Amino acid sequence: MAVTLFAAIVIGSTETEMKIFELSPRRGMKEIDCVSTRINLGVDAYSKGQLAVEKVKELCQVLKEFKTVMEGYKVDAYRICATSALREIRSSLITKDYIEKQTGLSIEILSNSEQRFLDYKSIASESDSFEAIIQSGTAIVDIGGNSMQISVFDNDKLITTQNIRMGKVSTREKFLPLAKNNVHFEKIVMELMEHELNGFAKLYQKDRQIKNLIVVESDLQSLTKKGQENPGPISMISGEQFQKLYQQIVYLNPDEITDKFEISADTAMLVVPSALFCKCLLEKLGAENIWFSSMSMSDGICYDYAVANKFLRPSHNFEEDIIAASRNIAKRYKSNMAHIRNMEELTLQIFDKMRKVHGMNQRHRLLLQISVILHNCGKYISLTNVAECAYNIIMATEIIGLSHSEREVIANVVRFNTLEFCYYDELATFSSVSREDYLVIAKLTAILRVANALDRSHKQKFRDVNITLREDKLILVVDSQEDLALEKGTLAEKTEFFEEVFNVHPVVKQKKKM
Amino acid sequence: MAAVDYTKPEYYTNRELSWLEFNMRILGEARDKANPLFERLKFLSITASNLDEFFMIRVASLKDMVHARYTKPDIAGLKPEAQLELIQEKAHSLVQLQYSTYNRSLLPALKQEGLELVTAHEDLTKEQQEFVDRYFEENVYPVLTPMAMDSSRPFPLIRNKSLNIGALISKKGEKGKSEFATVQVPAVLPRFIELPASPEGHRSVILLEEMIERNIDKLFLNYDVVCAHPYRIMRNADLTIDEDEAADLLKEIQKQLKKRQWGEVIRLEIEEKMDEKLLKVLKKEFDVKSDDIYSISGPLDLTFLMKMYRLDGFDHLKTPPYKPQPVPALMEEPDIFAAIRKKDILLHHPYMTFDPVVDFVRRAAKDPQVLAIKQTLYRVSGHSPIVAALAQAAENGKQVSVLVELKARFDEENNIIWAKMLEKAGCHVIYGLVGLKTHSKITLVVRREEDGIRRYVHLGTGNYNDSTAKLYTDCGIMTCSEAIGEDATAVFNMLSGYSEPKSWNRLSLAPIWLRKKFLSLIRRETEHAREGRPARIIAKMNSLCDQEVIAALYEASAAGVKIQLIIRGICCLKVGIPKISENISVRSLVGTFLEHSRIFYFQNGGEEELYMGSADWMPRNLDKRVEILFPVEDADLKKEVKHILDIQLADTLKAHELKPGNTYEKIDKRGKTLLCAQEYFCEEAKKRAEVTADPALTRVFIPAEPVEDE
Repeated sequence: MAVTLFAAIVIGSTETEMKIFELSPRRGMKEIDCVSTRINLGVDAYSKGQLAVEKVKELCQVLKEFKTVMEGYKVDAYRICATSALREIRSSLITKDYIEKQTGLSIEILSNSEQRFLDYKSIASESDSFEAIIQSGTAIVDIGGNSMQISVFDNDKLITTQNIRMGKVSTREKFLPLAKNNVHFEKIVMELMEHELNGFAKLYQKDRQIKNLIVVESDLQSLTKKGQENPGPISMISGEQFQKLYQQIVYLNPDEITDKFEISADTAMLVVPSALFCKCLLEKLGAENIWFSSMSMSDGICYDYAVANKFLRPSHNFEEDIIAASRNIAKRYKSNMAHIRNMEELTLQIFDKMRKVHGMNQRHRLLLQISVILHNCGKYISLTNVAECAYNIIMATEIIGLSHSEREVIANVVRFNTLEFCYYDELATFSSVSREDYLVIAKLTAILRVANALDRSHKQKFRDVNITLREDKLILVVDSQEDLALEKGTLAEKTEFFEEVFNVHPVVKQKKKM
Repeated sequence: MAAVDYTKPEYYTNRELSWLEFNMRILGEARDKANPLFERLKFLSITASNLDEFFMIRVASLKDMVHARYTKPDIAGLKPEAQLELIQEKAHSLVQLQYSTYNRSLLPALKQEGLELVTAHEDLTKEQQEFVDRYFEENVYPVLTPMAMDSSRPFPLIRNKSLNIGALISKKGEKGKSEFATVQVPAVLPRFIELPASPEGHRSVILLEEMIERNIDKLFLNYDVVCAHPYRIMRNADLTIDEDEAADLLKEIQKQLKKRQWGEVIRLEIEEKMDEKLLKVLKKEFDVKSDDIYSISGPLDLTFLMKMYRLDGFDHLKTPPYKPQPVPALMEEPDIFAAIRKKDILLHHPYMTFDPVVDFVRRAAKDPQVLAIKQTLYRVSGHSPIVAALAQAAENGKQVSVLVELKARFDEENNIIWAKMLEKAGCHVIYGLVGLKTHSKITLVVRREEDGIRRYVHLGTGNYNDSTAKLYTDCGIMTCSEAIGEDATAVFNMLSGYSEPKSWNRLSLAPIWLRKKFLSLIRRETEHAREGRPARIIAKMNSLCDQEVIAALYEASAAGVKIQLIIRGICCLKVGIPKISENISVRSLVGTFLEHSRIFYFQNGGEEELYMGSADWMPRNLDKRVEILFPVEDADLKKEVKHILDIQLADTLKAHELKPGNTYEKIDKRGKTLLCAQEYFCEEAKKRAEVTADPALTRVFIPAEPVEDE
């Protein structure tokens, strides 16, 4: 069978890169071309909040050239993702539109959590090494231009992911002018970094043993690869080896690094901040080994595409990561986990049975599940104002793998679980929710409300429920000895909205086993 | 053990002197009676054009240094002024030898073969005189522009490299008072004319300047011509500094720009018997020192001999032309892509035809599965079929990227024409990288096949020039190795201005990585030798003058590595220095074809490695150019390439060996098999093509196998 060609373009803060991949069910994904060029968008974006006209023009020019290359390969599909540089400027949408019109290409501006998720997938696309590493405590550190993302794994599960506002470009820009010399620069950065990491460790690491550090930073990797025979895309060095390397480079000027390690001058500038971060992380987290990945976000984009189009069977379940991360958030806010488990079961059963009626997909099912997991977190702050508090917590918490709009859907679903539903005209006046998202919010809210009503007492009375959809009735047969008066009562209140949305009437039938 | 300093100046030969030595070896071929007569004419002509180029580029450059008061010594410890002195001395004796060869050996031999070159118009027969005068009036006279100098007319501008006749004239009746006049021998007319054959069938030719001299009084009516003699000048008119020179020189010259004497005459050639008074005028007007004056006993500018070589009717006095043979691998499998998929293919030009390379591009242009063609073009021949095929490919909707190197010496204009034409056809033309000449020779064809993208690569040691491929010995490989394909893609991305790749699989590129690669390969042999393993290097190239590489070779030799160098031209390394270079031998092959391939062999403790590439061991190749070194990986090809080296090392007829006294000598043939490597390869290629063409020997029916499907 013929192969599919896919192009992944990443507009990063220092570099714009395109990779062309060959995809086939038999051989999976294979990189066949990689073109990249340095366009330093980050500097302008982070300090001025906007991009210079020349930079935008340069970017358009490069994208046009990339387009020619894509046409040359006759690629079947492409995806272009822009990261923080385009996300964080004032005129983000205007600039995006301009570039799209100039180049005829469509661009996505990723939220931080989506971006990090793709980076993380890029490592996972090297599935063999990845699965082995994350069996023990592992932190994946993704060093970007403006910030770094730390994700902690244990036992194959994602524990947490946090963003620290220190990136290799921004750190260099901000602190190099303040420093007297290279030694002083090291001291300033170390101080700041330690401060940031102390907070992180206290909150998220606790007594967890983190053995491995996976660093997504291809420039540093090229240094560590020197002298190694056939290094793979992910290569490991021990903590001590890293310390040695660190000593070799940290006091050098970029041109000296260029000379000594034969890397390009642009790269050399950013190697020192990255190395500083790694040293600090290594020491603070107490890791033994440090792995460097040369995979880039474009690998993640292609991996995503390959999985979605069934060229690859994922060895790692990424949805599980998103769910695990959500559960950790719920735990942090002391949610009743037993109640949540029960609710998840119920809501997902209702979702599945109602498929024909609501017509939503797997992704929506995941959003529903997360809504359930997070629906109670507001209680941590206020028992009376649960809905608003939960909404705010969700909007302020990064959940890896979810886009901003997806998070907004979840926050709204949770809010309308108990508060009165706002219809579109009203909702649109104070938020940017799209029509499509609005419909999803309505449908998910309807389901969540019913399920929530059925476990009103939080005593998990509805443990074995059999749900069937019969014409315009959703029949929930409960096998329970308990008194269901409360649940039946609250349900009556909540079914109105469910009926309004789906034109289906939920009915509870109790089957008491003798 | 105290570290030995391998960079002492006395261990090195000055590159200019070594170059002159090389020109001497070519002159040796002109003097060699074993060569057919007309081939000898050709060799002599080559020494003349070589010397012209040498003056224009190298001597001019040294003169610049002297003017700029640049006194940094070269690797042999010679300052520019000292180099110039030594060059002049050697160049003068070279010229003398050129003309004694011409006068004493070639002219008499030609006469014996029935071709006379009339050296003095006075010797013409009556019929010939009439013919010459008629020719002069009809063809020459209309294009002549005589110019005189007097108080109202300044000394005229004499064009670089043009041949002129200078004369002293005096007004009729005013004896004693003479003026200077000059006329350019027109370059638009052939330099020599064949005269009508004598009744006995003897043929003769006469030079254009002789005809003009004979009729010179027709140019200056009302004047008496006192004397008339040819002269020729060479100017330092090259605006660009030779890339071989150090960057600090460039700065120095920019600083002292005013001191650079534009158009300064650096060489004046005159006829030996030139009138003293006339010479004085020239010397004064051109402001030349006596050292820079070459008085010549014969016609100036011997490059006309190349045209004489092409005279009809003397085929028996020329080496019969060799027809490049078909490539066996491609005779069995005419589909070039299928053949490459089967096995890597080695090409050895001109013994094997260059057609597969042209065909490679041509087929790619038409093949519906081909997506893209990328190629570097350095010196392209006129009406290059490759350029036509690339344009065709672009018209067929392929993505075509061509790197056209505009900085190729002497070829700038030619290259711009091709570049514009390709752009018009829709090719993406890249004009190289700033500050670096792209000298690498690589072609990449990207094909979308059933099972994915497959890349076909041709890598070579010579330019993509179908005319020179018949005269230069070069090697190339065609492969679809994935590792090399990936590298090739990265090369073109880099040449298009994108970031360099994180790492290379197989290829080594100059300017960044290649020097280190060579040094580490040499040092690895040194290690092998130190640890008692057999260690050997064979390297074939055009020139060797990089100090760091030579020092590494000395160190290797001192450690016991056996080093055999086959270097056609400049070699700044010295052999036979006790404890330094006793294990190094250097030989130079000068033959019918110009030795041009670069092949490098490293014994590597038994795990032999062979490389080929576009780079010599010269600073300019390693530091200022984009060059590619590629490994020969296929076991059969490795054997084949090693065989090429072995035969060249066994040559006893055309090889010269460098001796400790810095002279080159022909091989002592006693007790050795007589072998001319170039002839051997010609015969071998013919035999191999015959064997393959014989269907009885090769026809094997191959049963089809079921398509594998996992």
